[in-house]
Amino acid sequence: MTSSLDRRSALRLFGAAGLGLGLAACAGPGGGSASTAGSASPSGLATSGAVRGTVSFAHWRAEDKAVLADLIKAFVKEHPGAGVEQDIAPSADYQSTALRRIRGSRTGDVFTAFRGAQFEQIVKAGVYAPLTGTGVVDRYQRNLIGPGAQDGTQYGLPYQLVFNMPLANTDALDKAGHTRAPGDWDGFLQLLDDLKAKGYTPLAWPGGDAANSGQLLNVMVMNNAPGDDAFSRIESGDAKVTDDWFLTTLEQYAALRPYVQERATGSSTDAVTRLFAEGRAGLLATGSFQMAGVRALGAKFPFDLVAPITTTAAAARYEGVFNTTFVLGVNSASKVQPAAYAFLEFLSDPENAGAYADGTGQHVTVEGVEYANADLKALAPWLTRRTLLAPRFQFLDLDIRTAVENATVAVVGGKKPEQAAEEAQRVIDQKRS
Amino acid sequence: MSSTRSGRRRRTARALWLFPVPALALHLFLFAYPVVQAVQYALTDWDGYSAAYDNVGLRNFAELATDDDTFANAAGNNLKLTLTVVLAQTALALLLALWLVRTTRASTLLRAVFFLPTVLSSVSVAFVWRFVYDPDGGLLNSALRAVGLDSLQSVYLGDPDTAVFWLALTQVWFHAGQMMVVFIAGLQAIPKELYEAAELDGAGRLTRFRYVTWPLVAPATGIVVAYTTVQSFKAFDLVLGLAGNPPGPALDILSTRVYTTFSNNQFGYAAAQSLVFMVLIALLTWVQRRAIGRATR
Repeated sequence: MTSSLDRRSALRLFGAAGLGLGLAACAGPGGGSASTAGSASPSGLATSGAVRGTVSFAHWRAEDKAVLADLIKAFVKEHPGAGVEQDIAPSADYQSTALRRIRGSRTGDVFTAFRGAQFEQIVKAGVYAPLTGTGVVDRYQRNLIGPGAQDGTQYGLPYQLVFNMPLANTDALDKAGHTRAPGDWDGFLQLLDDLKAKGYTPLAWPGGDAANSGQLLNVMVMNNAPGDDAFSRIESGDAKVTDDWFLTTLEQYAALRPYVQERATGSSTDAVTRLFAEGRAGLLATGSFQMAGVRALGAKFPFDLVAPITTTAAAARYEGVFNTTFVLGVNSASKVQPAAYAFLEFLSDPENAGAYADGTGQHVTVEGVEYANADLKALAPWLTRRTLLAPRFQFLDLDIRTAVENATVAVVGGKKPEQAAEEAQRVIDQKRS
Repeated sequence: MSSTRSGRRRRTARALWLFPVPALALHLFLFAYPVVQAVQYALTDWDGYSAAYDNVGLRNFAELATDDDTFANAAGNNLKLTLTVVLAQTALALLLALWLVRTTRASTLLRAVFFLPTVLSSVSVAFVWRFVYDPDGGLLNSALRAVGLDSLQSVYLGDPDTAVFWLALTQVWFHAGQMMVVFIAGLQAIPKELYEAAELDGAGRLTRFRYVTWPLVAPATGIVVAYTTVQSFKAFDLVLGLAGNPPGPALDILSTRVYTTFSNNQFGYAAAQSLVFMVLIALLTWVQRRAIGRATR
């Protein structure tokens, strides 16, 4: 009797616990921390006050860790009451999980975001403390920090300036008889032919790497697209990848088949970077952000950037593509905001920004920086040329972006442009609905 | 005296009920709670961070079933991966176990060699195999070129028709050694007398395998198949390591699909995908266990 009563009591206890947990689970999304941190009206940023406490700096650039550590040492020397800890996640993870990690006050007092979808989500979640009206904004080149603003408010400061266009081995180009970048599509194909004739792989392209195979798309569409917002229009349904201009782009991808390395649709970024660094390829179809990596592999040749102009010279609106990313911001929930803001100001100082640029091989958007790094100096003329803000990052939906980029990979792999476009459009239509 | 004994027994019985409490509490907190929460999310269009959301009923599930080629593609890839890995890994692990079941110095060394990949992290394995599969200068194509078999060189992960099978090969290399150990344990538990009796009855090697080894190693086979199935569905980090994030359609499997949907901040829809994913694993494991039960009866 007693034993049966005990069993019943125990079952009741377990049942009650289960029910309790079930009800707690059913409290629903938006309950708990989601509702408190989800406010769309972030608090004002505390720019003054004691610079004290440990600042968590969340970012994805493990390769910059040492350079940033040196800068942090200098910052702590200036502000002995403060410290900075780097919280680094691999870029793929950061893309997917950063918002959830920085929403509390424990991680990311200062944090970074990718331009585009991630930046917009973080703004929507109210995590960026607005920077409009603070002195730090004036330290940046106004025309380059647009991707960190929304509806007239500056939320973040894109720190890095990169050129998402093919990196060229100018020694190889010289040997192929090209001292100037071709100004039209025929000229570009001629350059590839000449490189091939000299024994080079004309265009090293990482078709097997989802993250980098799409970089080439930026320059392939910059002059073909009917407007600068073409990819936004594809995502909103106002344009289609089956439209003539995109089919033309895919046909031009098909024309590149003889010029990319053999079996390019399976190549990783590491492999093509090696191919280029060893002087076996004329062009590397990724971007200026690879310069430091190529140098690390022992390349001695000089660099330039060469974008395929996919139209006639007269119809070309742009010579290349740039992107500003690594969007720095201060967390609206940070408990050490004055210290976080001071660190942001420190990074935005031209001398410190220059040290970051030289150490990492990336241009920066800070005004008045003088580069000491020879590669950065060599590409400096591109800072004032006719370049378009990389259109690839107009895609906010990863599935839509993957569908479009995969169409280009499929075409290089042998698929007919029309079929690749139709398959991509089908996914886009489904994801939009 | 007897009432004292019965009182002690009652106290013991009561105490026995307390033993499962920690495990049950953990199970409720770590499994039941998230599942209930996932069900609740799956009925909403929550984006993962906003306070506002709408209840959409079964719309997420309807969309999954009828209007999502990416999910259907991932499910198809996963099915191909699972079937290939289950068949190849089980067969290879059993063969290795039969070969190495006797404990000698050489077999102990070989067991360690075959088990070694299991202790590596998925990221390391992906890194190594990315180099193996690289079409230009990768290990496989270089080896084929070296022996004059240039025509067999392939693009491997870059071929949308075969990429998933190359992924399966990596997965088998990664885990076959672990499953071999399970089979060895199962084989060593079979009484030697049964083999001796079968031999006396004139049974040959194959007959002994068919009527002694196969039925008696069935429990181990069941474990291997169930574990391999779950493993193939969860080959998440290996895929991201080999193909990048998000992977292209050729290597997208259900776990990476759910992750991409989460990354797109479609929490409600991703929760629906997760639930379907969970049900599929359970269903496939159940079907396999029944099939193995029948085959070894």
